[in-house]
Amino acid sequence: MSSSERLRILGYEPLTESDWETGLHPMDDLLRGERLPHIWCQGCGLGTALSTFVNALQWLEKNQEWDLDKVAVVSGIGCTGRIAGYVRLDSFHTTHGRAIPFATGLKLANPELKVIVLSGDGDLAGIGGNHLIHAARRNLGITVVCVNNFIYGMTGGQVGPTTPHEARSVTSQYGNYEYPFNLPYLAAASGASFVARWTTLHARRLGWTLRDALAYPGFSFVEVIAPCSTAYARWNPDGKGLDPESLRRRGLEIMKHYQEVGRIEHDIHPKDAHIKLNEKGEMAEIVEGEFVKESRPNLQEAIDQRDVWAEKAWQRAKKALDERPDLPAQTEHIPRTEVQLGGFGGQGIMSAGKIIGRAAALYDQLESCFTQSYGPEARGGAAGSQVIIASDSIHHPHLVRPGSMIMMSQGAYSKYIPNLAPGGMLLIDSELVTLPDDHRADITTYGIPATRIAEEAGNNRAANTAMLGFWTAIVGAVSQDAMRQAVIESVPPKTVELNAKVFDIGYERGLET
Amino acid sequence: MSEEKGLLTGEHYLLGDHACAEGAILAGCRFFAGYPITPATEIAERMSVRLPQIGGTYAQMEDELASMNAILGGSWAGVKSMTATSGPGFSLMMENLGLGIMLETPCVLVNIQRGGPSTGLPTLVGQQDMMQARWGSHGDYAIIALSPTSPQEIFDLTIRAFNLSEKYRLPVLVMSDAEVGHMTEKVVIPPPQEIEIINRPEVQRGDIEPDHFRIFRDSANGGEGYVSPMIKVGDGYRIHVSGLTHDERGYPAMYAEANEWNVARLMDKIHANRHDIIQVEEHDLEDAEVVVVSYGISARTSLWPIQQAREEGLKVGYLRLITVWPFPEERVRQMAKNVRALVVPELNMGQIVREVERCAAGQAEVVGVNRPGGDILEPHDVLNAIRRAAGHV
Repeated sequence: MSSSERLRILGYEPLTESDWETGLHPMDDLLRGERLPHIWCQGCGLGTALSTFVNALQWLEKNQEWDLDKVAVVSGIGCTGRIAGYVRLDSFHTTHGRAIPFATGLKLANPELKVIVLSGDGDLAGIGGNHLIHAARRNLGITVVCVNNFIYGMTGGQVGPTTPHEARSVTSQYGNYEYPFNLPYLAAASGASFVARWTTLHARRLGWTLRDALAYPGFSFVEVIAPCSTAYARWNPDGKGLDPESLRRRGLEIMKHYQEVGRIEHDIHPKDAHIKLNEKGEMAEIVEGEFVKESRPNLQEAIDQRDVWAEKAWQRAKKALDERPDLPAQTEHIPRTEVQLGGFGGQGIMSAGKIIGRAAALYDQLESCFTQSYGPEARGGAAGSQVIIASDSIHHPHLVRPGSMIMMSQGAYSKYIPNLAPGGMLLIDSELVTLPDDHRADITTYGIPATRIAEEAGNNRAANTAMLGFWTAIVGAVSQDAMRQAVIESVPPKTVELNAKVFDIGYERGLET
Repeated sequence: MSEEKGLLTGEHYLLGDHACAEGAILAGCRFFAGYPITPATEIAERMSVRLPQIGGTYAQMEDELASMNAILGGSWAGVKSMTATSGPGFSLMMENLGLGIMLETPCVLVNIQRGGPSTGLPTLVGQQDMMQARWGSHGDYAIIALSPTSPQEIFDLTIRAFNLSEKYRLPVLVMSDAEVGHMTEKVVIPPPQEIEIINRPEVQRGDIEPDHFRIFRDSANGGEGYVSPMIKVGDGYRIHVSGLTHDERGYPAMYAEANEWNVARLMDKIHANRHDIIQVEEHDLEDAEVVVVSYGISARTSLWPIQQAREEGLKVGYLRLITVWPFPEERVRQMAKNVRALVVPELNMGQIVREVERCAAGQAEVVGVNRPGGDILEPHDVLNAIRRAAGHV
C-alpha cells in the first residue's frame, strides 16, 4: 500500500503536486498567517490541538459540505484561549471562563451556525465551570474542546481544577492537596451527549473524534490532554531548563510518556476514565477514547417543539385585544382618588386593584396607577394593593390619604384602617371582618357578605368581584360599564359569566345602600 | 407584514417591567438571556412568553455573568439582544459589560434598581447604582444610560436604548427602578410604522473583500460618528475580535499607543455624539431661582413638591435627566450661572449630585435630597429642600 493510499484510508487527503509547488501549507486557508508565529512554547500540545481541529474542519468541508463561513470559534482566556485568534473563521476571544455563554448566545440567536468553544481547563472547568455544566445540561448543540494541560499556564503555572493530586506547581510546591475534576465524567454527568478524551499524541484518533463531535447534534465535549512543557513539566519529573531545545525535548518526552501510559477504552463509564500519577509524580495512567454517544433532542429541537404553544398563546392574546369594546371616556373631572385594598393571599386583592386601574385607564380614559405590596408578607399572608385614579397626571405614585378602602380580612382591616381619610368610605366583607368597639366613627362603613354572595353564585373565589361591584356603586370614580368590562377580561374565561353576575349583584347592593 | 405579527399595537394596562419587554420587542429585540431577580423578573417572564410568539428566543441562563455574555453572542449573530437585572445581578454583569464595550457590541441591559448594598432590599426601590452604571466595569470607557419615570416611558426608552446601541455600537443601559418596574399604568403601543427603529450599520455578505474589511475601522479615517459597520457572524467576513486591546482588525495589540487608540474610540464616539444622545425635559426655567435636577422616579415624585413650591410663590424650575449618562454637563454648567441653587433629589446617598456639583463649579449652591432606597422620597423633604435653597426656611 502506498503512503498516499494509506493516508486516504485514514481519512486524510494526501498532498497534491500543486501544494508542493506553491509552497503553501495545506492549512493556510484556515489560519491567520499574519498572526503567526503563535505565542505557544516549544513542546506545547496546543499546536497539535489546533492543527487537528483545522484538519477536522477541512475534512467536514470536503466530505460533509460544511460551509466554513458558518463556523464560529469562541475562546476564553489563557494559552488555549489564543486559538480563536489564529483560525481564519469568525472568532471571538472573550473574557475568562465565559466562552460557553457567549457561544450560547451565538447558537441560540442563529441556530444555523456551527459554534465551537476551544478553551483551556482553567477557563472551562475553573472560572467557567458553572457554564460548562449548564450548557451540557441543556444539551446545547455546540462542541466544547477543552485542552487540558493540568495547570494555569499563561499566568505562570499555578495549581488548577485539573491538576492531579500530589502534582506540583507554583502554588502547590509541596504537592497538590486537592483532587482534580475528571472532566469527561463531569460533562457526562451534566448531560453532554457526546464525550471523549484523547492526548495530543493520538492526533489522528483525536481528529476522527473531532469530526464526529463537530457534526454531533447535541452538546459534545472533547478533552484534549496536552503537554505544558514549561509551566507544568518544570515542576514535575523531567522538568529542567526553559531554553527552546529543552522544552522541545521535554514536550517529546511527555508525548512518549503518553504513549506508554495511555490506554484506549471506548464506551467505558466516564467515571472510570482515570488520570493517575505514580508515587514519583509521573503520569501512570491516562484512559482515553470515546466514552459517551447519546441521542436525545438538543436544546434547539426542544425549543422548537414549543412553537405550537406559543402560537396558541398569541392567538388568545390577539383575540382578547381585538374583542375589546369601545366605551365612552369619562367626561367628568375626576380628582385624585386613592383606593386601598387588603386581604389575605388568594382572595384576589391584587387582581381587584388591577381591575379598578384597568377600567379607569383603558375605558374611562383616566390616569391610573396601580401598585402592590411585594415581599414575603405578600406570599400567602396579608396582601395589599393600591390604586390611584385621576383626570390629571399622577406625580406621586403612592397613596397619601386613601378615600376608600376594600378590606377582606381582619388583619388587613387592622393594618390599613388608620390611613383612611376622615369622611372616607370603608367597604368590608361583613363575614370576614368584625368591627371592634373602637371602630372609627369619622368614616362611613359598608359591609356585604361578599364571599357568601360569590359562593351562592357558584364560586367563592369571585368574592373580590362582588366587592368591586359594590365599590363601583358607592364611590362612583369609575363607571359601571368600564368596571364590568375590566372584570370580564381579567377573570379566567370559564368564570366570566359567574363574575359578571356577582359584579352585578354587588353593584345592585351598593346602589341600594 | 409577517414582522407585524405578534405586536400588541394598542392601549394596555401594563406593569413597568412588562412595558419594558414590549418596548424591546417593538425595537426588534429577538433574543433575551437572563436570570431571575426581583424586581426585574417580570421582564424575563414576559420575554419568555412573548419572544417565542414572534420568532425570538428566550434563554434562562445559569447566572448574570452568562446572561450578559449570551446577549453579546446573540448580538454578534445579528440579532438584537437584551438582558435585565437588578443590583446584585448588575454587579455580576459588569465583567462582560466591559467586554461588550470593548467589542463595540450593540445590546441593551436593563437595571430595575432596588435598595442596596449587597442583597439589600429586593422588593424596594433604590437609585444606588447610578455611579456603578458609569464606572462599574474596569478600565476607561463611556456609557449611555437612560432613566424612565413611568411604564410608558420605560417602553419608549427601551426602544430608544436599542436605537442608540445600534447606532453607536455599544451596550446601552436602561437605569430604571423597582417603583417604575412594579407600577402598572396605561401604556400605548403605537403601530410599528410610527416608531423610528434604527438598525446597526452592517456590511452584508459580499459588500467588501473580507481581507480588506476592518471591524474596528480607524475613526481618524472617517466613518460617520466614529462607528464602524458591523458584520453578522456567518456572512463570510471571518472576523476576529478580542477583549484584549486590539487594532482595527480586532487583533491583539499589546502596547500603549494601541490602548490610546482603542480607548479613545470608545470614549470619543459618545462624546462626539452627545448632542444626539442627551435628552432632558425642562420646564419653568425662564424665571427660576432654584432648579430641581433629578431623574427617574425621583424626578417624577419631585413634581408635586415643585408645584406646591410654585404655589407658595417660589421660583422653581425643573430639569429632568432622561439621559443620565453621558451627563448633560453643558446644560447644567450654563444653568448654574443663572440660578441661586440646584436641588438634586435621588434615592441614594448622593451620586448624581456630585456631577451637578462638578458642573456647577461653585456658581450655584448644590443641595442633595437623599435617601438610601427603601421608599420613594417624601414630598415634604423635597419641598423643604427647595424652600431652604430659595432662602425661605
